[in-house]
Amino acid sequence: MLKIENLNANVESTPILKGIDLTVNAGEIHAIMGPNGSGKSTLSSVIAGKEDYEVIDGLMTFEGKDLSELDPEERANAGIFLSFQYPVEIPGISVANFIKTSVNAKRKSLGKDPVSASELLKLMREKMSLLGIKEGYISRNMNEGFSGGEKKRNEIFQMAMLSPKLAILDETDSGLDIDALRIVANGVNKLRNKDNATIVITHYQRLLEYIIPDYVHVLYDGKIIKSGDKSLALELEEKGYDWIVKDTK
Amino acid sequence: MTLIDNLKQYAETSHLSKESQELFGEFISKGFPTIKDEEWKYTSLKKIISESYTLHYSANKNTFKDFEKYFLGFKNKIVFLDGKLVSSSNIKGVTISDYTSFKNLSNHSSLDFLNASLSKNGFTISVDENIQIEEPIEILFLNTTENIFSQYRNCISIGKNSNVKFIEQNKNVSDLNSLSNNFTQINCAENSNVEFNKIQNDTARSKLIDTLNVYQKSDSVCTVNTVIFGGLFIRNNLNFEQNGQNAESNMNGITLLTKNQFVDNHTFVDHKNANCRSNELYKGIYLDKSKGVFNGKIMVRKDSQKIDAFQANNSLLLNNDASINSKPQLEIYADDVKCSHGCTIGQLDSESLFYLRSRGVSLEEAKGLLTFAFASEAIQNISIAELRSLVQKTMSNKLNVDIEL
Repeated sequence: MLKIENLNANVESTPILKGIDLTVNAGEIHAIMGPNGSGKSTLSSVIAGKEDYEVIDGLMTFEGKDLSELDPEERANAGIFLSFQYPVEIPGISVANFIKTSVNAKRKSLGKDPVSASELLKLMREKMSLLGIKEGYISRNMNEGFSGGEKKRNEIFQMAMLSPKLAILDETDSGLDIDALRIVANGVNKLRNKDNATIVITHYQRLLEYIIPDYVHVLYDGKIIKSGDKSLALELEEKGYDWIVKDTK
Repeated sequence: MTLIDNLKQYAETSHLSKESQELFGEFISKGFPTIKDEEWKYTSLKKIISESYTLHYSANKNTFKDFEKYFLGFKNKIVFLDGKLVSSSNIKGVTISDYTSFKNLSNHSSLDFLNASLSKNGFTISVDENIQIEEPIEILFLNTTENIFSQYRNCISIGKNSNVKFIEQNKNVSDLNSLSNNFTQINCAENSNVEFNKIQNDTARSKLIDTLNVYQKSDSVCTVNTVIFGGLFIRNNLNFEQNGQNAESNMNGITLLTKNQFVDNHTFVDHKNANCRSNELYKGIYLDKSKGVFNGKIMVRKDSQKIDAFQANNSLLLNNDASINSKPQLEIYADDVKCSHGCTIGQLDSESLFYLRSRGVSLEEAKGLLTFAFASEAIQNISIAELRSLVQKTMSNKLNVDIEL
């Protein structure tokens, strides 16, 4: 589904990603772990198409399509979803309108008519109950005055509404208390199927107790220095990152 | 010939009353304002007044029914066609009549003198005491005359405890050159509540100078919403004078300009009494080479304690060639007051744009949505639902985005 080969990317001519190789197939969950500043968030932003990053080398394809040719909105409509580490507050647009606009943007790209108001509301209610979201929430302004946990839950709500093929969860666990973490993880698990894939970016092993990864990758200084199965995450929790860094050197 | 020659010629041949002659003399001695005048520093009339205009409406066989497409569709209507009052609704408790001469109560600028001396068109509305009118009264000034210089002079008096809403529009029926210098006075009696909405969405060569003076007695509330989509040139003078305690003055401005359009919003609130409030929120969106000026003056007089005044002017410049000059002006002579003001000028936030695009929304639509979101706080202050949706529809047309909120 997603194939990344030798990806090199800069921010304002400082190299951040220095040769990433990653292949994600349908049905798989990949966890990307690594210390602060290793390039985790940059990788997710580059996949989603943020223009602040300059891809200087390498290839990214999604279902065979070259991603470098696609704008962020085209990537989204092709099925890539990024759950933001820091979701943006947009006063003046309600959650309901924001979701309606994005759902219809996707339908438009598929040549479908806009969704009817009643159909949309039904779908929203269904996903809200899945994520334990209260009714009044969707008429609030997008992320405005939301707690950290509410913002993250809102990201997963959007993901549920858009049913992407590839979801990238960028530190979705930060800011969530243990109950919210369970609800969000449960939501992610319920949305899983054999046709979609998930990349979980996290600092801590905690989230991976709820969302069980098939693969764990360690990102360090812009490179994936070690890959393994879920036991690698446990090992990292116990021993930290230093031993891998030393091993690699 | 230039406008001043047109005016002099008109004054000489019009058998003006002695009083009008004196007023016209005042105008001539002051002349049109220039950029040397502090209140006109960023707004030049030079080019506009160097043109020649006619002061006589052309005869036409049209009736206002030919122009139904300009009506917003409210039951209560007052319609002027080329200066003539051609239709007015019967509304219980409301007396509507044609032009009646009245004196300015304050701030005599040269343009006020010009209006007072030569205007012969306009309306007088008087609303009885204790009248509640739900349906807004729509006021429409239609023009079919090329190169017209027009001056409406209107007076509205609202009785005690009455509640009424207005929507006013100036419209050229085709792409005509026009210049208007309009003057309206609203007298709000004790405990009255007035909402006056101005929709300024005229043709590409129209030029408008509009002065609205509001005089408020105690416990009255007056809200003026100004929605500005153009014409070529607009200068709004909006003045509130609070002549009693516990009065509230609200001003909302929504501006969306494109091409080479220009607007200057000058507002003034004179807190002459204690325990009063004012709220001002002006949101401006400037595209292409459009230009804006905002000057918001708040005066709190010496004994006007416990005043609560708020002012905000937020501008969005969506093009490098667009510009805004924004000037808050607070003069506070009382010591126990709460006055705050804020002024921002900026572009659309790139993080917000990326957020929307990452959800599949195209760049153009994302820009449109964020622009809407920017203006929505001020739009929400319009109490008439039909008008809010009209404003949103006009905005989406002008921004060329397909948005339904």
